[in-house]
Amino acid sequence: MNKNINTRCVVTGLGMINAIGNSVDECWNNALIGKEGIDVVKSVNADDCYANLGAEVDCAELDKYEGVDRASKLCLKASDEAFKDAGIDMANEDATRFGVIMGSCVGGVVSIENYVVGGEKTEDIRKMTISPIANHVANRVGAGGVISNVGNACAAGSISVAYACELIRAGVADMFIVGGADAFAAVPFAGFHALHALSEGPCSPFNHSNGITLGEGAGAIVVESYEHAKKRNAKIYCDVLAAGVSSDAHHITAPRPDGIGQMYAIRTAIANSGLKPENIGYVNAHGTGTAKNDEAEFLSLHAIFDDVNDNLSVSSTKAMVGHCLGAAGAIEAVYAIKALTTDIIPPTIGYTDEDLEMLKEKAGKIDFMPNVKKEKKLDYVMSNSFAFGGSNASIIFSKGEGSVAETANDEPIYITGMGIVSPLGNGVSNYIEKVKAGETIEGNSAFAETTKEDYDKYDVKMAFYRKLDKLSLMQVVSGLEALESAGVEISDDKAEDFGMIIGTDDGPLTTVYKFQENISTNGTKSGSAFNFPNTVYNAAGGYLSIKTNMRGVNVTVTNGAQSGMSSLCYAYNEIRQNHAKVMLATGTDENSEVMEKLYKQLGAVADSKAVLYGNTGMAMSDGSTTVVLESAESANARNAKKYAQVCGYGMTHAITEYGEVKGTEKGLEDAIAIALKDAGISASDIDAVYGFGNGETDVDNIEKNVYGKLFDSKMPVHNVKAYVGDSRSAAAALSIATAALTLSGELGNEQKAYFFGDTVTEGKADTASYNYVLATAGSEGGSYCAVVLKKA
Amino acid sequence: MNEKELEVAAKIKSMVSENLNIPEEELDYEIPLFGDGIGLDSVDSLEIIACIDNEFGVVMTGVPKEHFYNVTSLTKYVVEHM
Repeated sequence: MNKNINTRCVVTGLGMINAIGNSVDECWNNALIGKEGIDVVKSVNADDCYANLGAEVDCAELDKYEGVDRASKLCLKASDEAFKDAGIDMANEDATRFGVIMGSCVGGVVSIENYVVGGEKTEDIRKMTISPIANHVANRVGAGGVISNVGNACAAGSISVAYACELIRAGVADMFIVGGADAFAAVPFAGFHALHALSEGPCSPFNHSNGITLGEGAGAIVVESYEHAKKRNAKIYCDVLAAGVSSDAHHITAPRPDGIGQMYAIRTAIANSGLKPENIGYVNAHGTGTAKNDEAEFLSLHAIFDDVNDNLSVSSTKAMVGHCLGAAGAIEAVYAIKALTTDIIPPTIGYTDEDLEMLKEKAGKIDFMPNVKKEKKLDYVMSNSFAFGGSNASIIFSKGEGSVAETANDEPIYITGMGIVSPLGNGVSNYIEKVKAGETIEGNSAFAETTKEDYDKYDVKMAFYRKLDKLSLMQVVSGLEALESAGVEISDDKAEDFGMIIGTDDGPLTTVYKFQENISTNGTKSGSAFNFPNTVYNAAGGYLSIKTNMRGVNVTVTNGAQSGMSSLCYAYNEIRQNHAKVMLATGTDENSEVMEKLYKQLGAVADSKAVLYGNTGMAMSDGSTTVVLESAESANARNAKKYAQVCGYGMTHAITEYGEVKGTEKGLEDAIAIALKDAGISASDIDAVYGFGNGETDVDNIEKNVYGKLFDSKMPVHNVKAYVGDSRSAAAALSIATAALTLSGELGNEQKAYFFGDTVTEGKADTASYNYVLATAGSEGGSYCAVVLKKA
Repeated sequence: MNEKELEVAAKIKSMVSENLNIPEEELDYEIPLFGDGIGLDSVDSLEIIACIDNEFGVVMTGVPKEHFYNVTSLTKYVVEHM
């Protein structure tokens, strides 16, 4: 597969909403006059809390977006503005080449609160997670390509921009709306309060550094290939050059004191953009205003820019708009782009005369832009975001074309290891045994379990595992098994060559729900400092990086159950673009009393045992699957076992209300067509399908209708949910793992299969002759993923 | 420890075990809570402070770290300041 890695990416539309404005112009003009959007918080009860400030949005127009969570409302508002600004006419567009990637930290947490305190209404359930956000935007603008959300807490907004540009450079898409959104909510307020990370007064980044002030808002950016922008005669703001994404592998909330994770992200962005540190004119810093953040950021800025760049300006717009969490990176990218394109830098506000004296010492030759804007000719600007879980992201915008380094890697990419946690037990050999024996879960709900035996096996100490919730425990155990099975060893000097993409549908919903329940009952000040770090979606990936010292790309993607397969596509791209040597791709989702209750209330769960393709409803389940991906060069050098080759993928979206799948056949058809084309084969080359039907009629019908059209009735359709139940993202990743185990012969020559004739029949398929297999996954909301695997 | 101290120590031990997810059998009154012992960190100390404030009405914010050394030292501080 030869992909165009050099495609130039440009920005053609901007949208923004935050505490100092409801449009880009208003947010920008107010930033230039140093307007502070911080006030006593209205939407959260801060009684008895030591801090009570927030930067909330005041926008009556949000009410027009009905039936969605507040985070989605904010996102839709900014996306509408960006879409309009870009002047896109969908009548001239191929919808499958247009995607949406949004970042969020807490997603629909306001709807969790509404559910808990508002009589447990069913309508709130589908709004609780991050997943719906990008779906709502896709539906509104008519995007039918890659639809995803990035769950990397406070770096999510920046990573969404980076991910979209990678997909454009890889030739997967022409255009995206990207950005991030988060709403002001009780859970993060109570959590940062418990951590004593809230500032009593307005936050004071690079100054008093005594805590954050939370904000809310959204930023949206239209990015597209230069060719596409020229073709439709779009107004071009600037180019997006390279990004750097890394993981601290240090602590779940605190940044590394030595700053090496941040520095790696910043240096990678600069180097891959073909630049030197002296070229950067302005950095929109993360600048949260906590002591630890500001200290680490001073350190990395000085280490990289001192002596080589005496003309650097740095500001933190958080002093005006607060810390907007998953929206922060997107909002700050818009501020950075406005600075670049107008040659005016917004200030960091809040310095007194006395503070200015103190700043001199800390700032050195860097201008931290105290209190007033300044005009300055800018060619290259940088936006940096750092997050819980040790996540770091840096991205560069440029007035001119720039010279993004060519990083094409045409080596075949193989699956060389895997790890499985499921309700049938843990470990790949256990899974093989159970599948061969035809074992299945009992009843309509099943639970995976990780135990001390697992922790001892991978040398996970009590001081470490006691901090993890079930989602993270499952992810850590499956991740460690995968690395061990692949025989991968991570040395400290090469730690940045190893990365992971975590896929999850519901993320830490159980933990967030319980956190909300506690503060709804006992008050905002009762938030638990111990549990709060686990409420972010990238905690699982953060813990796995800490345990393994994997310091490369570490991103959590979340858009329904297909996240456990789209994670593989993302990981594949990272290797293809030489951002990593070895990537883990995972799917992890949790079952719990809370999850059971919510899915049962939605009417999705079978009354007793679920029967796939049998109109029963699903069997609720959970688990974690991790696969190891690496290029032929890397695998051959280690003499690694190759389970299967990844040949191509497709990711698409068919417009439907979030929570629905009925009528979205075109989404799956498109995903399969794109995957086949990417692999350079046709439908007749496919020997078997690993599907995603779960017993819910609407889901099963999609598969029946699409496979009926594409394949003949003898096509064997295998489905891992027959064994482990519907573990959502974990099942999507397990389809990949099971297909790879089948192609490598580990599962024997015969396997249970379904055949889609006039009726669905169950039987056995001879798997020995399989050469190409197709794995598919779908989500509520009409997003689909298809992957072609080949015998290695 | 006197009767009062024993009562407080038992309560602190069970709170620490439950809220910081430490198996009861790993925890005794003497084992160091931070560093090489149980391996607690600054986030855990915030949780301990919140629990002790909530249960005993004793504020330990800003209290020197030697009082957080183990369950016994926490107990002594709490009993003295109740």
